[in-house]
Amino acid sequence: MYTGFITCALALYALGILLILPSVARRRAGLPAAALGALALGLVMHGAALAVLAARVHRLPIIDVRSALSFLAFDLTLAFFLIYLRQRIPSLGIFMLPFVFVLTLAAAVEPGHSFDSAQFRSGWLLAHIASMILGYTGFFITFVAAVMYLIQESELKRKQPRAFYYRLPSLEVCDSLYYRSLVFGLVFLSAGLITGFVSASREWRGPWEYDPKILASLGTWVIYLTLFSTRWAGNWRGRRSAYVAILGFAAILVTFLGASFLSGQHGFFPNLGGTP
Amino acid sequence: MNLVLVGISHRTAPVEVRERMNIQESRLSAALADLSHRPGIHEGFILSTCNRTELTAGADDEADAAPALRQFIADYHRCDLAPYENYFYWHRQQEVVRHLFRVASSLDSMILGEPQILGQMKQAYAVAREAGALGGALNEVAQQALAVARRVRRETALGAAAMTVSYAAVELAKKIFGSLNGKTVFVIGAGKMSELAAKHLLASGASSIFVSNRTYDRALELAGAFHGTAIRFDEIFDYIDQADIVISSTGAPHFVITRERAERLLAARRNRPIFFVDIAVPRDVDPAINELDNAYVYDIDDLGQVIEANKKQREREAVWAEEIVEQEVERMMRRLASREVAPTIVALEERLRQIRSSELERYHGRLATLTPEQREAVDSLTQGILNKILHGPITELKSGAGNPEQGALVQLVRRIFGVEK
Repeated sequence: MYTGFITCALALYALGILLILPSVARRRAGLPAAALGALALGLVMHGAALAVLAARVHRLPIIDVRSALSFLAFDLTLAFFLIYLRQRIPSLGIFMLPFVFVLTLAAAVEPGHSFDSAQFRSGWLLAHIASMILGYTGFFITFVAAVMYLIQESELKRKQPRAFYYRLPSLEVCDSLYYRSLVFGLVFLSAGLITGFVSASREWRGPWEYDPKILASLGTWVIYLTLFSTRWAGNWRGRRSAYVAILGFAAILVTFLGASFLSGQHGFFPNLGGTP
Repeated sequence: MNLVLVGISHRTAPVEVRERMNIQESRLSAALADLSHRPGIHEGFILSTCNRTELTAGADDEADAAPALRQFIADYHRCDLAPYENYFYWHRQQEVVRHLFRVASSLDSMILGEPQILGQMKQAYAVAREAGALGGALNEVAQQALAVARRVRRETALGAAAMTVSYAAVELAKKIFGSLNGKTVFVIGAGKMSELAAKHLLASGASSIFVSNRTYDRALELAGAFHGTAIRFDEIFDYIDQADIVISSTGAPHFVITRERAERLLAARRNRPIFFVDIAVPRDVDPAINELDNAYVYDIDDLGQVIEANKKQREREAVWAEEIVEQEVERMMRRLASREVAPTIVALEERLRQIRSSELERYHGRLATLTPEQREAVDSLTQGILNKILHGPITELKSGAGNPEQGALVQLVRRIFGVEK
């Protein structure tokens, strides 16, 4: 069941991306209904896959790295939809959706043994995981907005418009998307860290404060908090903060993937079926 | 229905010839009435702009249309056409459809994709309708030309990128600020060009404007025209930090806005972006300011470069537009062919019915001795022959509906059976 739904979702996402390409290439004002339809249906299938998984494990369907990635992909597609409805940025799909596709592809592999330890029934831990994923969703959009901003900014500085100049939104649109997703991500990352600390202090034995993943997460949090506060104070804007946002996203990758090699409790490699 | 178009345009004729052949808007209605009442002509459509004058006629017979058009032009302009012969181009049937579709879509315009032609075409169509010069196939073609132009506008970006300095500046401003609503424009040096750019910026949503000029009276004048604020030239830097877009065109021999000024300006603006449009020569704004974050400086050459790139974009979009036009031409030709099918069938039936009744009439005397049964037999015999003869051509006509060659078939059937319109 799960595999069926997630494969359908994957195929529909691929179709959606293929349908978006020509309309961005041809600079249509909006996305074709077929592309939006394929993505919407993909989203429904993806939701169904997660629901099937939830019914199987009787809780939030985040049981291993794959399902966490699946959840992230679901959130990202949903976010793309909501942003598109408000802002109509077709080119955002070109940047976001291939990543969604890769995440869903990783999730499409049948989850191995879903370990069902008592630990995973803790509400604090689930709140921690869900908040972290929402935070990552926000920061991924911040990252994409920053990349789009940098490309458009360099087009404007070069003064010789090329393909991107015509297809990417204005700097202002990139900037407002950047700022809003930054705030969204920061709220959930903070919530994720707090619930994570509570959960760790209750569940883990031994000193948890020095877990590499926790330290890396704190580092990431500091980066994004700095971005937010400098922007809020008006010191940084535009190119410089876009670079830092990209750095922040790199920090997330390090936190999410890299530190997991070292972390005792968070470790899940080389087996993709480990704890997130 | 046969369509013939004759025209001259910027592609074939210099302006002296175009103005000689121009048909004034005030006389258009009378000209259309004249044209469409010439012998053999049913419909007329005239498009006359500064870049082209084109006359299209719808006639029963193609052979009538061309001489009638030629005569009309000679009569209207009271001239001998011989010296102008080489400037004219002639189109027939499908070429007429394609040409009108391309013209309306601005694919034949001097500036590719310029928007005025669609309005001019609409106007020409309205006048022709009003004058009663349209009502058949040409009406459908002209109407569809407007629809095709709208489709091209909707589905391609043919008319999207700016082709003039002032619009290019507006477009760049939109790429930086998104919406221009609530943005402030500062005009330094009240020249013609900066006035135009300011006008376009305000029309695109910019909400307030400052004007400064060496002669304060001129600043007051322009500020008054835009409901803006005039600033004395030596007070520019007290106000300029409020501006999002600065248009500069003074006659100053050195930079009015230096890099140091701009750095201070950006700090005062807490790094909110600022856009300098420098249309002065020698330049007013230090080009090094473009290296500062959140500051964008475009001089007149830069804007020219943007327009050049936009032109290439339009050429790329024109390929898509031509494709749409081709699809639409084919569809139109099918429609034109099928709109002649039903009347042809009716006329064909009518023609044979006439033959039958006139022949029966002729033999009336000799058939008078027949019994009612025999007369009935003759009736159904002749009717049967008629039906059998009609069956072939009618089936053929109907089955060919939507086929591009059907027009030729319709003409053939009409000719063979001697069916007149």
